[in-house]
Amino acid sequence: MLDVILAGVTKKYKDQVVVDDISLKIGNGELLALVGHSGCGKTTMLRLIAGLSQPDKGKILIGGQESARLKARKREIVMVFQENLLFPHLNVADNIAFGLKMGGVSKKERVKRAQEMLNLVRLPGLAGRYPSQLSGGQQQRVSLARALALEPKILLLDEPLSNLDPKLRDELRDLILLLHRRFKMTTVLVTHDRDEAMMMADRIAVMYYGSLLQVGKPVDIYCRPVSSEVANLFGQCNYITGFLKGSEFQTEDYRFTVPVLKKGGRVEACVRTEHIKIIRPISDRPSGVVIEKKFSGGYSLLKVSLGGMNLIAKDDNLFDLHVGDRVGLDIDWPQVHFNQV
Amino acid sequence: MKSVINSKKIMLIMITLLLFIPISVLLVWSFSRLWPSEALFPNKLGLRGWSYLLSPRSKVFSSLAVSLFISFVVTVLGLILSIPAGKALGQLNFPGKNIIEVLILAPIIIPTITIGMGIHIVFIKWGLADKILGVILVQLPLVLPYGVRIFASVFKALGEKWEEQAKTLKANVWQGFWYVVFPLIRPGIIGASILMFNVSFSQYFLTFLIGGGNVNTLPLLLFPFINGGDRVIASGIGLVFIIISLVFMFLLEKALGKGNDNSIGNFYYL
Repeated sequence: MLDVILAGVTKKYKDQVVVDDISLKIGNGELLALVGHSGCGKTTMLRLIAGLSQPDKGKILIGGQESARLKARKREIVMVFQENLLFPHLNVADNIAFGLKMGGVSKKERVKRAQEMLNLVRLPGLAGRYPSQLSGGQQQRVSLARALALEPKILLLDEPLSNLDPKLRDELRDLILLLHRRFKMTTVLVTHDRDEAMMMADRIAVMYYGSLLQVGKPVDIYCRPVSSEVANLFGQCNYITGFLKGSEFQTEDYRFTVPVLKKGGRVEACVRTEHIKIIRPISDRPSGVVIEKKFSGGYSLLKVSLGGMNLIAKDDNLFDLHVGDRVGLDIDWPQVHFNQV
Repeated sequence: MKSVINSKKIMLIMITLLLFIPISVLLVWSFSRLWPSEALFPNKLGLRGWSYLLSPRSKVFSSLAVSLFISFVVTVLGLILSIPAGKALGQLNFPGKNIIEVLILAPIIIPTITIGMGIHIVFIKWGLADKILGVILVQLPLVLPYGVRIFASVFKALGEKWEEQAKTLKANVWQGFWYVVFPLIRPGIIGASILMFNVSFSQYFLTFLIGGGNVNTLPLLLFPFINGGDRVIASGIGLVFIIISLVFMFLLEKALGKGNDNSIGNFYYL
C-alpha cells in the first residue's frame, strides 16, 4: 500500500484554473473523501493522481516517488469512473480479467481470478453475462471487481454511487467499506454527497473552486468547519453574526450566554439546525413565531422568526406545531462553532 | 397504434419496390433477345447477354479481378488513413482544424475533372500513369472524405473515456486500441468500408484518365456497352456490379459484425 503526496499541484484547462495550488497528503491505507460542489475540480484531482492528466505545476509523490510525469499504466493505481465504463463487447468475466490480460496473466489464472472477484462483490454466476444485461448496481459492482482484480495499491473512485437508487447505494457503500477494510488499499473517493463522505471516509478534504478549504476527520469538518462554505456543504446552518466577549454573545436583538472561548470580537456563529431545540416559550429564552414548516417524516424543519432574523430548527415532531405558533428556542451553544469575521 | 404499424409496413414495401424495380428491369433486360421500345415486355428471351459475359473474350472476369483488387486495396488504405484522421478530428482541438476538415471534404465538392487533370500531369512525370498503383493512389483522396467523416463522428460520440479506462487498467496504446477501441468502432468500420469500396468500385473517370486504358476495371468495360446501346450486355454487367457490392457487404458484416453486437448497437449509435 502506498501513500500519495500532492505538493503545490496546479492544473489549468485553457485559461481556467481547475486545481489551484493544492497540497495534500493521503496516508497509507486511508480512505479519503474529496467533497465539493460539481465542477470544483474533484475529478481533475483524481485524474492527476491516476496519471490521466499531467499537472501544470507541482509534484505528485506516490509511495515517496516523484510521479507527476509517470504514465497511467505504470502506476499501481486503478480508477473507477463515474459511468462504470464496462466494455460492452466483453462479458463480465472478460471485463473483470481485462487488466490481468493486459498484464499477460494466463487464461486459466484469469478465469480463476475473475470468479474470485465476482464472489467478492457477491455476483457469482454472472460471469457469462454482457454489461447490457446487468442492472446499474450490478454494473457498478463489476466495475469495482474489475479494478480490484489488479490488486491496486491505490484505488480511485469517482462518484461510484451517484447513479444508483438509495437502497443499492447503501448496499454498495457498505461493500466498498468492507473491501477497503479487507484490502487496506489507499482509497480516494470523490463525492458530492455529504452523508456518503461522512459515513465512509477516514478523512474528508473539502474543495471549493479548485482550492482546498479544509482537510480533517468527518467529525472535525462537521463540528468545526473553517468557513461557511464548508459548513454549508455539511448540513444546514444558521448564521448569526454578533459580538463575542467572554461568555457573552451579543447580536442585534439578543444577548446569549455561551461557553467562554479564546475568540472574541466580531464573529459569525454557525448554528446547525439540529442544535436548536424547540421548547415552550419561557421568559429567559428567546422566543419567536413559526413562519414555515416542512414535514419530513422523522422530523420537521421549522423556520422561526426571531427579531430580525429567521432561524431554521430541526424539530423531532414532539409537539404538533403549526405556522403562527409561538415557540421558545434553546440553542445548544457548546456545539456551536464561531468563525472570526 | 395499428395505423402506425400499417403505415410503417407500407413505407417498407414502397422502399423495397423502389430498390427492386430497377434491378428487376436489369434482370429482364439481361435475359432478353429482342425488346422493342414500344413493347411493355421483351418479345423474345435469350441467353445472348450472359453467354457473352461468361465467355473469356468479354474480359468480364479479368476486369472484375482488377476492379476487386483496386477497390480492396483502396478500402484498406482508406481505413488505415481515415481511422487516425477521424480520431484526431473527432477528439482533438488544434489550430487549423476547420481548414483541414474542408480540405478533406474537397474531393467530393470539387469536380473530379479538376483534380484529375492536375494529378494526371504529375503522375506522368512520376511514372505512375497507366499503372494500377497510380489508379489506387488517385482513388484514395476520393474515398477518404467518407471514411474520415464517419470516423470523426464515431470517435466524437465515443469520447476518450474508454481509452482512459483501458489505460488505468494497464493497457498500452496498442492494447487499448485493439481490445477496446476497435470493437467499439466496428459499426463505423463496416459503414465506412462499404461506402469507400463502392465509391472506388464504381469509379469511372479517374480510372480511365490515370489508367489510360491499361487498367481495365469493370466500369470501363461497362461504359462502351451503355454508350453503344447494347442494353442486354450492359444490364448483365450492371447486375454483376450489384451482386459484387451485396457480396462485399455481406462478407464484411460476417467478418466484422460478429459477436453480441446488440450490446454495442444500442449503446452509442443513434
